[in-house]
Amino acid sequence: MDNSLSYRRDPADALLSCALEDLTLLYHRRSGQTHMVISPVPELLDRMADGATVTAQALHDRLAQDFDLGPADEALAEIATHLYALAALGLVRPA
Amino acid sequence: MNHALTLRIGPATFRIGAAWPQPIAQLQRLYAAYPDVTGQVADFTVRLQPTSMVRRWVRPSIFITGDHGLADAAPMSLSHGLLAAEMGMNLQMALGWRRHLLLHASSVEKDGCVLVMTGESGSGKSTLAALLGERGWRFMGDEFALLDLDSGAILPFPRLVSLKNRAIDVVADTVGQAHMGPLLAATAKGDIRHMVPRADAVARMGEGAMPALLLFPRFGHAPDIRPVGQGEIFMRLTQASTNYVALGEPAFVALTRFVRDVPARAIDFPTGEDAIAMVERLWEERA
Repeated sequence: MDNSLSYRRDPADALLSCALEDLTLLYHRRSGQTHMVISPVPELLDRMADGATVTAQALHDRLAQDFDLGPADEALAEIATHLYALAALGLVRPA
Repeated sequence: MNHALTLRIGPATFRIGAAWPQPIAQLQRLYAAYPDVTGQVADFTVRLQPTSMVRRWVRPSIFITGDHGLADAAPMSLSHGLLAAEMGMNLQMALGWRRHLLLHASSVEKDGCVLVMTGESGSGKSTLAALLGERGWRFMGDEFALLDLDSGAILPFPRLVSLKNRAIDVVADTVGQAHMGPLLAATAKGDIRHMVPRADAVARMGEGAMPALLLFPRFGHAPDIRPVGQGEIFMRLTQASTNYVALGEPAFVALTRFVRDVPARAIDFPTGEDAIAMVERLWEERA
């Protein structure tokens, strides 16, 4: 996974979210699709809520302020994978 | 259509037309206590028509269609005409209703609160609703529970109760033959017989109430009661809804509210009597 790719959340992709126990449901208005996600996806999306363009590295640094992410290489790779998957779902956009 | 009648069930009005008199006559008998809405504009049309010109007379064969239809619906024998009409009404609701979130579930009401039961065909949800309707609960529906998108209330859709195979005798013994339709033998789902809901279920079919308990019944297993996680409940209810996707954001809001607010349990039971005892106990404990 390419860690240097940049992503952002667009206001057009606003999500309605609802926590159900350890799951979070995301309703994506633009597509009408409901997504069922678990941690760390809600945390990732929260830290992109300002709409700023981020790389996996920048997101890692933001998350590291609040969570113990373990070895940086592994965490970074996982974040990059999540960003790629979220872009495929249309929840974030490549910037 | 040569033969027709108009029926109101809960909030929905159907005009049912048939090429033959028998299905309409059976509907007239079984729905005799329902409001007379003759001449009113219907929400949906159901048509029971011959699969071909010849099949009107020779080995009569019904093709179910209407405002909404399935092109590959299997033809049905005229002797199963009543079932065809009921399936035709279900089809219209499943494919066309947009005023409420439709849940494939049975529902009964007591003390102003609703018990919703959802499960696959054969889970026992229809039988349980029918039996509870004879024991102090108000029967609200055995096929669709209508979830109001604004208030979160469940609204009744008390059509005839469709009973299958072993459930037929259990319920017929309880309610009496006068409240039962003809035996429809060897349908695609086995033997089927319809039951007419009690008069109070019909008289109060415009009255909704707030849901207070959700059950996932499963007939034919040793007695067991299990909690169900909210994520699983949400997933099963979206699978049990025919219009969740079509209704969009209001359905998401209404269904998540339902899942968060309504306690839920999965129950396994070997007989109807066991199930009723479990339901009554869970109902008492729900608060």
